[in-house]
Amino acid sequence: MPIFEKSSESSVTRAIISQFAKDMDGFADTDVIIIGGGPSGLMAARDLALKKVRVLVVERNNYLGGGFWIGGFLMNTITIRAPAQKVLDELGVKYKMYEKGLYMTPGPLACSKLISAACEAGVSILNMASFDDVVLREKNRVAGAVVNWTPVGALPRNITCVDPVALESKLIIDATGHEATVVRKLEERGLIKVPGFGAMWVEKSEDAVVEHTGFCHPGLIVTGMAVSTTFGLPRMGPTFGSMLLSGRRGADVAYKYLKGKK
Amino acid sequence: MSPTSTSRARSKELLAVEVLLPENHEIKNLRSIKPFVSSLFPTVKVEMRPSIGEQVEDEQMEAVASSLASARVKDPTRSEQDFEPMYGELDYERRVLEGEARAGGILYDGRILEDIFSKILRPKVDRASIVLTDRLVSTFSRDDLRHHLRTIVCGFPSIVSLPGIVEAPAKPREYYLIKQKLELQGAGELRIEQLKSSFKGRFLDYDDARTIEVVKGLVFQAVMFHLTLEPFCEKRGCRLFNAHWQEDLIRSQITSAKLCKDHTRQLKALSSCPSIAW
Ligand SMILES: [Zn+2]
Repeated sequence: MPIFEKSSESSVTRAIISQFAKDMDGFADTDVIIIGGGPSGLMAARDLALKKVRVLVVERNNYLGGGFWIGGFLMNTITIRAPAQKVLDELGVKYKMYEKGLYMTPGPLACSKLISAACEAGVSILNMASFDDVVLREKNRVAGAVVNWTPVGALPRNITCVDPVALESKLIIDATGHEATVVRKLEERGLIKVPGFGAMWVEKSEDAVVEHTGFCHPGLIVTGMAVSTTFGLPRMGPTFGSMLLSGRRGADVAYKYLKGKK
Repeated sequence: MSPTSTSRARSKELLAVEVLLPENHEIKNLRSIKPFVSSLFPTVKVEMRPSIGEQVEDEQMEAVASSLASARVKDPTRSEQDFEPMYGELDYERRVLEGEARAGGILYDGRILEDIFSKILRPKVDRASIVLTDRLVSTFSRDDLRHHLRTIVCGFPSIVSLPGIVEAPAKPREYYLIKQKLELQGAGELRIEQLKSSFKGRFLDYDDARTIEVVKGLVFQAVMFHLTLEPFCEKRGCRLFNAHWQEDLIRSQITSAKLCKDHTRQLKALSSCPSIAW
């Protein structure tokens, strides 16, 4: 007796293609597109999806989670400052107290739980796809994203004839980390001015990252380290707590906007 | 009357010190500033007032938020910043003023803040206004042509930056060397915390209970500035020493916490008669 049921190669192919076509049909027009599947993007995605908002996360790598898999020094202990450990409670991530107000947990545990929470909440994921450009509507409002398969970017110039596709949405969230890819694209088009580097280093500016999370242009919300780049905040080391809380705030801002529109 | 144009005010006496509490309502023992100042200047009335945001009238809110957003230092190598505030920045400033967002983590030009606060508080000659703030504050130095974080910006009003107490005075050189090495290796928060604890006592970190002693010393410096325009002392053990290193700050404000001989004498005279010397 074989272990697995028989199925033809063609059935496997058809299953993949038909589901993908159905997915893409849904992605073509959704409520919120989140560019970047790191901690702030996933957090925002999960919170929105739990409120029945249709969310698509576009991730350029094949894996989700960004830098959330590993902590400092390539060691996989993640530190979280109060009150962000409450998010870990919600996600069912176990953690230990290092000292008052500072908690630690294995990166793979926290990251996989966050990814799973986002998927279970109903978030759609398009991985191995890269953000290419914004879709603009009246008064330069951001109303979608142009994306392409990540490997296309690696093709020689003479065969980059693989055209991208445009996905429409009511909102875009830039959760692309320090690169702030979507915001930079608006800057290229002369629609926004991002301060250059050279900001001072400080011990702590995580409050500012969370507090500045929100709209930076009509139709565009920034979360996570992209906030730091967009507003030229003082630089600091990575703090995962502020990424999670920034994602949550981004979701709140987006939800209020969408509710107001209805 | 503008405080800077008063040669007629020579015989003026300081009647009041008003201390505005910081935005984030976090440090509880700030109220101990009042008995501290009163003990130094018994004839002067000391008032603790709510934060600057609560002094702004509703119709002024937008204008003040806009000037605060424009007071940001985005490029520390330029004396004057040239940028249009973004929507998110204006919104943030308004929320901080209304007490809906936390202040902190943004760098502001101390001289521009002084102007903004001065319009709100309208300082008087016989009243020293001191604004405690949770904002990071810098001033531009002509020596090396860049902005430097400050604990205090003396003026009318004077501004005392609470995060500045942690961020402005330099920590021991070895700390930076090791920290830089760790950061190059990609070390995370945990290693930095361990590094900090190995330097325990040599610099102040956030949530250090001793910070209040430093705040008192800075408020004292601000009052001395209002009286004499010369708030600082050259002597490292004196509470009026303008510390640029954490170790000096801790020595002058916490370990020694005394005045030098000259300033003890000066304070004795000012205690009974706080006359304004300009
Ligand atoms: Zn002295």
